[in-house]
Amino acid sequence: MNNKLFPNLWRFIGLTAVQVLLLKQLTLSLGAYFNILLYPLFILFLPIQLATPYVVLLGFATGLTVDFFYGSIGVHASAGAFAGFFRFLLFAAFAPKGGYSGKEPIFSPEHMGWSLFLQVSAWFFLSYLFWYFSVDNFTIVYFGTVTLKTLAAWVLTMVFVWLYTAMFNPKN
Amino acid sequence: MGKILQLLLRNGGFVTFVLVEVFCFIIIVQFNKRQNAIFTHTTGLFAGRVLERRQEFSDYIGLKERIDSLNGVNAQLQTDLANARIVKFPMQDTFIVVLYDSLNSTDSVRRRVMRPLYEYYTASVIGNSISSANNWLMINRGSKDHIAPNMAVVTNNGIVGIVRHVDDHFSMVMSVLHRQTKISAALSKFHAFGSLIWEGGDPSLMTLKYIPKHFEVKPGDEVVTSGFSQMFPREIRIGTVEGEAVQDPENPYFLVMKVRLSQDMSTVGDVYVVKNLFQPEQDSLQVKVRNEQ
Repeated sequence: MNNKLFPNLWRFIGLTAVQVLLLKQLTLSLGAYFNILLYPLFILFLPIQLATPYVVLLGFATGLTVDFFYGSIGVHASAGAFAGFFRFLLFAAFAPKGGYSGKEPIFSPEHMGWSLFLQVSAWFFLSYLFWYFSVDNFTIVYFGTVTLKTLAAWVLTMVFVWLYTAMFNPKN
Repeated sequence: MGKILQLLLRNGGFVTFVLVEVFCFIIIVQFNKRQNAIFTHTTGLFAGRVLERRQEFSDYIGLKERIDSLNGVNAQLQTDLANARIVKFPMQDTFIVVLYDSLNSTDSVRRRVMRPLYEYYTASVIGNSISSANNWLMINRGSKDHIAPNMAVVTNNGIVGIVRHVDDHFSMVMSVLHRQTKISAALSKFHAFGSLIWEGGDPSLMTLKYIPKHFEVKPGDEVVTSGFSQMFPREIRIGTVEGEAVQDPENPYFLVMKVRLSQDMSTVGDVYVVKNLFQPEQDSLQVKVRNEQ
């Protein structure tokens, strides 16, 4: 139990702290198009076997925590919950032949390989970021801006996803 | 209940996702000024459109009621108009009376009191024919609606016919396009009157007879009701003279002419049934005259 709980707990604390202490400041100093939203990686790295409702609720809780620091109550929470649900669809779409064996505790390069991990994380963050910026703008009037922001943030975030994963190589 | 529970369990992730998103939506609008402003603006626009559509819908639904109400008002106006025409002939149709104030007999008031001669009732045509030799219409008003035989039926455009048979809720109207129709009509320019009949054929044309030949009738002259029949009020439009007036071959002292009806008999919809309030009195007088003859 603890070997599952603690890595996730540390990831939650670490990624949230990096997000609100470092990446938020980076966006504030560089401009609105320099968004790096790394904390959803915690949601992606939650155990594969964890039931979707729990993942959705954990995504919501993580987002709400970030919201408190960003002063945007509900926006990150909504995107976090979406990420939790969308993860379930992605995992189903990219499931190995014959399904998950149960030997892969999390969807990381260690267990799934870099290629599959990058494919899934690319779709995961692209969808998450589009949802986030849509909710943040709250109107379809700025669809163009939302798309641009999403693409810009996606490129930057994926760099950080790769860096984080390569550095820490999460196993469970 | 069990099925709902199963559905929730099977789609737990989706249901949780939807519920959480609804909650997020509420707190986003509640706690974020920008999103709140956008939401308020959007809902305001939406509510405005919905209200506008609802208003249009209720206007449409209420149209029948409004038409009925307007027809009622029209009937009242027609009544007033028909009775107002009478004022032009005070000797004939108005009383001159002296009324005394009941409190102060010295402060007397001299008033002309108009006596209403006609009442108009609204009705709709629910059956009509124009192609027979003798045509009839059916209207959706009967004796329970104060309709009685020998009442005139008119529209805003002209004359339609005369009520002949009355049931509780429906009446049969003898169309002006009937061989027995004989209406007292006048050329409004001369106040010369004659008899308007239908000889069959073209349903838009009637024949005006017995106009004395010394009148210079021209095509386009207006033909109206004379008011001499006990059914039609005075000066109801009938139509205009079509073509030249010619000498009546049956009676050389009179002219005969075609009259194009101002009311298209094939499109009669809403009508007014005109009640002559003094018809029984007039009828009894005529009976006396007939008896003397």
